[in-house]
Amino acid sequence: MNHFDIVIVGGGGAGLYAAMEVLNTNKSLKVAVISKIYPNRSHTSAAQGGANAALANKDKTDTVDKHTFDTVKGSDYLADQDAAAVLCEEAPRVMRELENLGTPFSRMEDGSIAQRPFGGASSPRCCYCADKTGHTILQTLYEQCLRLGVTFYNEYFILSLEHKDGKCQGITALNIKTGKIEIFPSKIVIFATGGYAKAYWNRSSNAAGNTGDGQAVALRAGIPLKDMEFVQFHPTGLRKSGILVTEGARGEGGYLFNNESERFMSRYAPEKMELGPRDLVSRSIEREILEGRGFDSDAGKYVKLDLTHLGPELITKRLPQIRELSISFEGIDPIEEPIPIRPTAHYSMGGIDCDKTGRTIMQGVYAIGECACVSVHGANRLGGNSLLEILVFGKIAGHEAAKEAQGFSTPSIPDTVIDKYTRYFRSLAGESQYERYAVIREEMGQTLADNVAIFRNAKDMKKAIEDIKTLRDRFKRVKLHDTGKVFNTNLINILELRNMLSIALTIAAGAYVRKESRGSHFRTDYTTRDDENWHKHTMFKLSKGELKIDYKPVTMGKYPLEERTY
Amino acid sequence: MDEKKEISFRVQRFDPQLDTGIYYDNFRITIEKGVTILRALNYIKDNIDSKLTFRVFCQAGICGSCAMRVNGVSKLACMTQVWTELETSSENDLILIEPIKNFSLIRDLVVEMEPLVEKLKNYYSWVKPKMPASEMGKKEFSISEETFQKYDQATDCILCASCVSECLMMEVNPEYISPVILLKSYRMNVDERDAMNEVRLKKVASDKGVWDCTHCYKCVEHCVKNIDIMKGIHELRHEAMTKGLHRSEGAKHAQAFFNDIKRKGHLVEATLIPRTLGIFKTLKMVPTAIKMFFKGRMPPVFVRSIPHKRYVKKIYKNLKKGNYSSKR
Amino acid sequence: MKYAYYLSCINESMTKEVDRSLDKLKTDLGIDFIKLKKGTCCGGSNLEYVSEPHYLAVNARNIALAEELGLDLVTSCNTCLMVLRTAKHHLDSDETTRNTVNELLKKEKLEYTGKAKVKHLLWVINEDYGLDKLAEKVKNPLRDLKIAPFYGCHILRPSKYLGFEDPNAPSSLNQLIETVGAQVVPYASALKCCGFHTLLVAEEESLKIAGNSLEDAIKTEADYIVTPCPLCHTSLDLYQEKALKGRKNLSRNSIPVIHLSQLIGLALGYTKEELGIHKHMIK
Repeated sequence: MNHFDIVIVGGGGAGLYAAMEVLNTNKSLKVAVISKIYPNRSHTSAAQGGANAALANKDKTDTVDKHTFDTVKGSDYLADQDAAAVLCEEAPRVMRELENLGTPFSRMEDGSIAQRPFGGASSPRCCYCADKTGHTILQTLYEQCLRLGVTFYNEYFILSLEHKDGKCQGITALNIKTGKIEIFPSKIVIFATGGYAKAYWNRSSNAAGNTGDGQAVALRAGIPLKDMEFVQFHPTGLRKSGILVTEGARGEGGYLFNNESERFMSRYAPEKMELGPRDLVSRSIEREILEGRGFDSDAGKYVKLDLTHLGPELITKRLPQIRELSISFEGIDPIEEPIPIRPTAHYSMGGIDCDKTGRTIMQGVYAIGECACVSVHGANRLGGNSLLEILVFGKIAGHEAAKEAQGFSTPSIPDTVIDKYTRYFRSLAGESQYERYAVIREEMGQTLADNVAIFRNAKDMKKAIEDIKTLRDRFKRVKLHDTGKVFNTNLINILELRNMLSIALTIAAGAYVRKESRGSHFRTDYTTRDDENWHKHTMFKLSKGELKIDYKPVTMGKYPLEERTY
Repeated sequence: MDEKKEISFRVQRFDPQLDTGIYYDNFRITIEKGVTILRALNYIKDNIDSKLTFRVFCQAGICGSCAMRVNGVSKLACMTQVWTELETSSENDLILIEPIKNFSLIRDLVVEMEPLVEKLKNYYSWVKPKMPASEMGKKEFSISEETFQKYDQATDCILCASCVSECLMMEVNPEYISPVILLKSYRMNVDERDAMNEVRLKKVASDKGVWDCTHCYKCVEHCVKNIDIMKGIHELRHEAMTKGLHRSEGAKHAQAFFNDIKRKGHLVEATLIPRTLGIFKTLKMVPTAIKMFFKGRMPPVFVRSIPHKRYVKKIYKNLKKGNYSSKR
Repeated sequence: MKYAYYLSCINESMTKEVDRSLDKLKTDLGIDFIKLKKGTCCGGSNLEYVSEPHYLAVNARNIALAEELGLDLVTSCNTCLMVLRTAKHHLDSDETTRNTVNELLKKEKLEYTGKAKVKHLLWVINEDYGLDKLAEKVKNPLRDLKIAPFYGCHILRPSKYLGFEDPNAPSSLNQLIETVGAQVVPYASALKCCGFHTLLVAEEESLKIAGNSLEDAIKTEADYIVTPCPLCHTSLDLYQEKALKGRKNLSRNSIPVIHLSQLIGLALGYTKEELGIHKHMIK
């Protein structure tokens, strides 16, 4: 049996940064990264646009304070201001560290890291590498982890967080390659499993595996989730596939047009125009479409993102991937024609409740990155702050965990948990099982997309909750067809669906009870922000298998509540 | 409405628990234009055979999980349109799906990727930062556009291993460094922030390394990110030759071309072998040489110089003087 | 029709039969190939990493020699083709390099302008000359022959610089084989590498590469392998015995490999001896 000081679940940017920081803090610690895919394939790679840091390379007047204020305002004042301050204070150091480690950032003429404007930001502070920023950051971190000799368990699927008397004991995981259930006793577990926006299934820009595994496992282990109703819809997904067109495309000067050839953002964000925050731009596009000013096609209604005026040189140099995706998936070359786009579920602001060091309420358990809710993004995340979050809090949590690990006693996990899961898997293949996972999954995505998306109301959300509850019942009869041990992706699909169903309910239930509009959560029956009653975090906990909702105050700081306009 | 068609997917199958060897399954499905190979496979898995096994993740061409051979060619299933593939199918409306080559099979389309990770480690595929730990994060390196351009394209690599799958040297020698690692080595070695250039270069220029590439350009042709991998290989060879690693057989071989053009204009094939391999190894070639002699295929030892040789010599002389601005 | 003909080192030494066969055919076909005696070795896909400036300068010179005659440049070697075309691409797309190189060529009163095209013999026959015309010239249709085409790498890849046909599904050699009346046998190795360029530094591996292709071709029961590249020929013919050593269960022990110019020669009625086929290592 493997005993560890620290087990990091998830090998994206947050997990890898944490692993690196653990070893940089204390080389003698036994640390492992457990990931359901090869770490270099993680969804961090899909982040195109960049990461914010007030380096003031481009705009000499930029400051950490301005960045912090933009973040708090962008969050519609739901972010905890102490956490947002840490995020923005640490940003320049972390970005320079990444640069020192070999990240191939694009450069300004003077050789410093290049920065571009991004939505909701008062200065051009988004550090980038063309439109492959996340990819290059992920590769760099993976390379550094290999250099430092981090132990990787690749293609392991987490089953449970084990704990005793409120203390972490480690995890159990399925070795996908062998089908063996393995135990990882560990003093500390850091969740870095990414987001849950794939619960919207085909109406999401997310990777197939962003199924909220960490959040679901934590919830089952009694750790609360926070602000789950806040799901960001990215304004510019490709019409047919939902694949993302980076905000960088608008940062570089792209325009949005409706079918009247109007740059309609002038009516919604006269000052910031296309570079308004994501929630606002998504709502504006959706409004244009609802009011008949969108374009129509077999693949659905859409508006146009026009880059043609930027010219071939800029497009091929700064947005090459966007051009490739647009040609591959829409058959449209953005140099020649505008790109058909519509909003797509993209990012989950909510996640495992933790503080600004990544600690959760359970001793030895941390959460970082998109799977966590610190909260730095509140009700709406700013573009360029997600990559930043995984780096800053990956580093902090790695450091904190390394310092803390030695103080904890040796954990133990009884072998009986293995039998529990063996029995569960066997039952899934039983004769009374008949439901098809793909059908349940599709219906789950559909009901979330139809009823808990950009414009929400009580009636729709109530329906979503009922639908999800029915789907959870049906899931009890889901059929595992593949009973093989080796690389059983049928089993993984089912386990992921189980996690997504837990998460889907928190999204819908949290949205239903929040009777106001804030950030990404916009209700047509409560159209304004209600600070008096709703300036608070939603907390989700499982109690005897039932989801319970509670609240927690928002930590304020130097920025008082204000109306949010752009 | 978009065009629709009934298409057969002929998919290679293998379950190590049940099968002694690989076999093929045919899945016939109706799909509309605009669907990718990966979406078609997802459809088959979700609706026809949930045991069909393949890796899938980002579905947008950036994670590298779904590299497989479509009609015999390694590519990303998520970026490949079914309709486009139909044009190159050997049989009408049939698409052949197989795992990438040069890795051991785990199941169906899933192959063992660990050897690639091992090679990343063995060849130091990382930047060893020049910045001392105490200074880390305090300041940026200043990187010129010119330096950035050297590694920019190489950092597009997503480790999908299509190039490894297409590499013929890999097929005959699994220990070979492989195109992707050569690319990574190049990318690290031109990075000014890296502190272990020499160590890496020595490793790369050793046995089973950069000199073993046959320059077949398969890797370049099949790179899903259109990276000019061969440029990296050439640059590594150039670097090896300029940094004193010119005693390897590959380096000596290349040097012979350089020298002969100057001396004769043409290559002196007869002495190419001893100049590359040295006398000892050349002796092993004697039996072949004798056969060649009797067939009249023996290259002449004394090659007549080309007319105008002096002009070529002049070019060499002027280049040596350095009145040529190299792009390097 | 008139072309400047590039003399490849290997065809001047080890595979002399390539150009000797072509010398015979050209009158029958009515194509004039003016040999560029002043041309140098292209560097064999090696020179560029010894010194890129030298590689660009000597190949600019090679192409300029054709331009001096006002002709396009033709070669019978895949690697020469690839090297010349790649150099041409760099020269054509970069004025500074072009000017520097021309400075170096001045003494010899040469100038590289980029107007001469660089082509393979196979392309010239297929496209400029035309297969219909070739068909008319066929005196001895090779009706009974089954032929395995072996394209070689550098006539296809990198397609960015070669670009004559789809590198994954080329047809030029197949069509030519059919034009002379023979039957094309499909096999898995038609587009593979012959291993030539690593024969000296990684002999064992290179022989395996060649051996695998030869084995594939033997399985098809083809009478000949035909290749448009003398380097592939060397790998597949000169080294065949070594490459197939120890391979069991083959329907036959060897397979003869002939050059493109010899294939056409046979169809035009020349004997094997006249074409030098008897001088190959494998009969």
